[in-house]
Parts: sequence; structure tokens; C-alpha cells
Amino acid sequence: MSERKKQRKEKALDNKCPSCGAPIKFNPTAGKWKCEYCESEFTLEEMQKHNNASNVKNNENGEASKIEEIDDTVYVSYKCQNCGAEIVADEQTAATFCVYCGNTAILKNKLSGEFKPNLIIPFKTEKEHAIKAFENVSKGRPFVPKDFNNKNNIEKIKGVYIPFWLYDVGVAGDVDCDAKRVTSWSRGDTHYTKTDIYKIFRSGSMKFAKIPVDGSTRFDNDIMNSIEPFNYEEMIQYNHAYLSGFFAEKYDVDSEGAFKDAQDRALESGKDIMVNSSPGYSGKLVTNNTLVPTLENKYYALLPVWMVNVKYKDKMYIFAMNGQTGEFIGDIPLDKKKAILWGILIFVGIMLAIILISLIMFYAR
Amino acid sequence: MKKKFIIILILFMFCIGNVNASTFTYDRNTLSNYGVNKKWKVTDDNLYNILNTPAVNADDKVYDFADILTQEEEKKVYTLTKEFLEETGMELIILTINSSYTYDSFNEDIASDFYDYNDFGIDIEHYSGVLLLRNAYSLDPYYNLYMFGEAQLYYSVERADDILDYIYNDFHSGNYYSGLEKLNSELIRYYKKGYAPEYKYNYIDANGKLKEKYHAPWGVALIISGIATSIIMIILIGNNKMIKKEYKASEYLIKDSVSYTRKEDRFITSHTSSYTSSSSSGGHSSGGSRSGSSGGGHSSGSGRHG
Repeated sequence: MSERKKQRKEKALDNKCPSCGAPIKFNPTAGKWKCEYCESEFTLEEMQKHNNASNVKNNENGEASKIEEIDDTVYVSYKCQNCGAEIVADEQTAATFCVYCGNTAILKNKLSGEFKPNLIIPFKTEKEHAIKAFENVSKGRPFVPKDFNNKNNIEKIKGVYIPFWLYDVGVAGDVDCDAKRVTSWSRGDTHYTKTDIYKIFRSGSMKFAKIPVDGSTRFDNDIMNSIEPFNYEEMIQYNHAYLSGFFAEKYDVDSEGAFKDAQDRALESGKDIMVNSSPGYSGKLVTNNTLVPTLENKYYALLPVWMVNVKYKDKMYIFAMNGQTGEFIGDIPLDKKKAILWGILIFVGIMLAIILISLIMFYAR
Repeated sequence: MKKKFIIILILFMFCIGNVNASTFTYDRNTLSNYGVNKKWKVTDDNLYNILNTPAVNADDKVYDFADILTQEEEKKVYTLTKEFLEETGMELIILTINSSYTYDSFNEDIASDFYDYNDFGIDIEHYSGVLLLRNAYSLDPYYNLYMFGEAQLYYSVERADDILDYIYNDFHSGNYYSGLEKLNSELIRYYKKGYAPEYKYNYIDANGKLKEKYHAPWGVALIISGIATSIIMIILIGNNKMIKKEYKASEYLIKDSVSYTRKEDRFITSHTSSYTSSSSSGGHSSGGSRSGSSGGGHSSGSGRHG
């Protein structure tokens, strides 16, 4: 295997306790930074007083080597500012951990310039919450494979800040449709049905705020859609201090590329809103739709997601939990043997119940 | 003394104008167990009915109390009953009376008591047999078929009604022998067809009553179970799929941002359709399985007036 290596100077940040200098992590429940060594707690304002919640000075000499492999996957190595060990991450990773000392490594060049997020929603749920949600995944789901949510898989759960594009979209135009109103009444034994046909004309506009679109190709858009919505009231200006204790990704889908999903969703909802603006109609059929989307604002935000990848029978299953609301989502593999057994048991059970009921009814006559 | 008078009166009603051997009756008070040789118990409840039921020689088969058959016809009809017995292993009893009545149930009571409290079918399982009753009451002549024991399984209400209809013209016109001949051939024909389809899951109990056997509804259970299992499995398997594609953005709509420059609902046309449902329904009479005063079971056709 041939490979070529490029050297590049990179900086890795970490967050250190202003009191004792030990690595410090963000505590989602408290909404503060808590030092596990000296047990000091700090608010964002307090952290900002100490080098804007980072220990930039301690990382200024950090160097990294960029390694490009033949499969075009690019890996970048960084020097851990806590223990000096080498941290290897791919190009999309914006925050990771040192495998030796566990220190958070925030890769500043992935979060600066064009990659600097405008907004962030800090994690609000703890890892334990995500573990519990994953443990409970088999509740009410009898076809979950036996070892699927075992301890080995649970340990793989990690908190990741996913890059999202948020779009303010305006929608304007015309929507026309055919619709009918049906009324029924009876007079004696005669039943009447009256159908009134209408043509509905709507022209107008509306606005949608911060429609989220996943900005990373590494995460399935449908999974990211499924954990929506996030509570935007808790969204704040980005500060990399919130990344401590979590992984983070940078976007690899630019804002123009991601906008299509947002405009499609806005157009679909815009059409629905116009068509349904007069109640009492049925059988609505859109005959004309000239709605046009307009991008009014865009934001680059990091949104909190607990992720776990589980390999089952050579296939990867991705589970995600909204790190703010706790919404848990993912497709669970099917244990076919269990499903067949359950199918047979349900079938036989219902059969026996019907026979038993018929027997009881027969002798109760 | 009073009891004897009543019996004599009833017998007189049956026997009025008849001196044939087929109408000879015994005095039940002189007979062992009042002439009841079947397994029915004589109780205070049924003693009155037993005593009011003529005790006849069960071998005669034809009891023309109404005297509507000639002696020659009686003999030929007797031959028919023998043929029926040979073909089916069941009794065929012909009973004619001439009694006023208000309700058809009067005729049924007469027929069932006559069969139950005489020795008809005594050596046949469940006392199986068929009795044709002709009440020649001039104001409202009536005839019907009554089935006892196994005969109930062969001659359903439908089959009995078919036979009653088939012989109606003959009975209505007084051509009784012809009607009875047709009756015999039809009874044998239906016997050869086996149990009536509607009684496929029925049986005759120890008292000769028509009972329904429990029949597990496997076909229905199979279909319902299949459908229910499919629905349950789809729901359960669907629970494993939590990922959904989002096509809409309605939750991100700024509610007061919606404004219309045109909002017009233009009426185009209208049409009205109607249909009429019928609330009336036709009626029909039917026979069924009943218990006589003996406790034994029997069924009957719907009966015909004429």
C-alpha cells in the first residue's frame, strides 16, 4: 500500500480548569463547567474571563501532520496538549478526545473562519439519559435481537455536536385547487348527497424560521430529521467551551448544497397551508402552484446529538438522541427468528381465543 | 268418574263416525303405565295429556279418525308405510282427525302426544319416525309433517315444507291417497340424500331432541387470525422503524407571517344524488324443534291450511 504524507501545522485546543489547570468538561444538567479534580464549577462568563474558555496559549506550539491515504480519506494528527500523545482525527472532526488521557481536543482550524459556527445548542441531556434510552429500546419491541442493546454497544454512545445549516425561508406565490363540499341528508327513506364543486384561489406569502438541514454527509439526513425539533429558545452564540466533553464535526455540505432540502420542505408546507386555509372542503386537487422560495437568512449551528453505531450481522445501525429534548431515534434490526416465533404464537393464540369464545358462546346459549 | 268421562269424550271426538280397525283405541287406565312403553316418565304434569291421547295399536300405522280414506286406500297407505320403514328404518304414521282448533299448536300437540304416548318407533333408535297429521276440520283444514328422533335430521323445515307444498293440491282437492303416495316417495327421496345440510352439525340427544353439535369455526378463525396477526406483526415490526423522512417544515412557520393577497373560493357547480332504502321486510312462517309434553323432541314443517 502506497501512501503519502503531508506535514501541516495544526492547533488543538482543550479546556482547562481555571483553578487547577486540569481538563474540564461541560456538565449538561448543570449548564456549567465542572472540574472533576478540584470540583470547581464555572459559568460561561467565568470561563470567558479565562482566555475565552480555552487554553489557547497552552496550545500555540501544537503541531499536526496531515496524512492522505489512497482511498482519499484524509486523516490529521494533533499533539495532545495535556499528555503529548498523538491524536489522529479525520478532516471532518472538529472536536475529539485523546485516547490516552481523555482530554478534549478542540481542533480550532475546523471551527474558525468559514467553519466558525454562529450558533450552538448546548447538550442538555446527560450520557446516562442516552444510555437509558438505548437500554429501553427493547421495551415494547419484542423483535429486538437479544444482544443488540448490551453493555458493549451502550459504551459506544458518544455525544456529538452535529453541523446544521439553519435557513430562514420566505415562500410566496399562487396555489389554485379544485375542491368539493359534500352534504348529506335524509327525507323519509330517501337519502340525498349534494356535492358542491369549488375552485379555490390563493395568493400570498409566509416565512419559515431556521429550517434545519444536516450539514454533514456522515450523518443520515432522515435520522437527523427524525430527532427534530430542537428548541431554538435555548440556542445561543457559539462558544467552543461548550464542546468540552463532546465530539464535534464540521460541515462538509456547503450552505448552497443543503438549501435544497430546506426549500423543498418550505414549499411543501407552504402549499399545504394555502390549500388548507379554508376548512370544510374535501377532495382537494392542486391545479396550479407557483410558490417560490427565497433564502432570507442562513446560520451555521452545532446541535447536540447522542450517537451510537451498532454493528449487527455485518450491517451498521445508527441511533441518535436529541441531546436537548431526549428524542431517541433509529431503525432497530429485526430478529427474524423471534418475529416468526411471535407470528406463530400470535396466530395460534388468536385462533385458540376465537375457538374458546365460540365454545363459551355455544354452551352459554 | 270425571276423568273417565273426559277420556270418553276425547275418544268420541277422535272416533266420531269411525268403526275401522285403524281407529280402535284402548282404555289407558287398563294398560300398564297408562300404555306408555317409551322411556318417558308418567308424571302429574303429563298424565292429563297421556290420558287424553288415544292408545292405539302401533302396528296399524294408519289412523284415519277423520275417515277421509277408503278402506282400500287405508290398506294401500299401510303398504306405503311399510315401504318407508324398509327403506329408511323409520316409522311413517298417518293420522287424520276432525277437530276444531284455533291455533296450529293444537294440531302439533295432538300429533306429538299421539306419537310419543304410543309405541311408534319403539324398537328404533330415538323412536325415529315421521307423522303426517291431517285435521279435516271443515272450517280450516290443516295438515303438517312432524318428525321424531333421527327423522328430524333428514327432514328439515325446508325439506318438510317442500314436501307439504308438493302434496298441497292433492290434499286440498281431497285426493289423499295420491298425496300420501307422493309424500312417501318424497320422504324416501330426501332420506336417500342424507341429513339435511342445515343439520350437518346436529345430533339427536337421549330424549330425541334435535341438538346442535359444537362445531369449531376453523375457517373463520383461520381468516380472522391471519388478518389480525398480519396487522399486529406490521405494527410490531413498524415499532422497530423509528426513522422517518421529513417532507414538511410547518413547525418552523412564523405564524403571523402568513398573508394573503387573494383568497377566493369560487363556486363552480353542484349536483345532488339520492337513493331510497326500503325499511319494510317480508315475513315467513317456519317450523322448528320443540319438546312435547313427554319431554321428547320433535320438529315439524310449517304446516299448510287447505
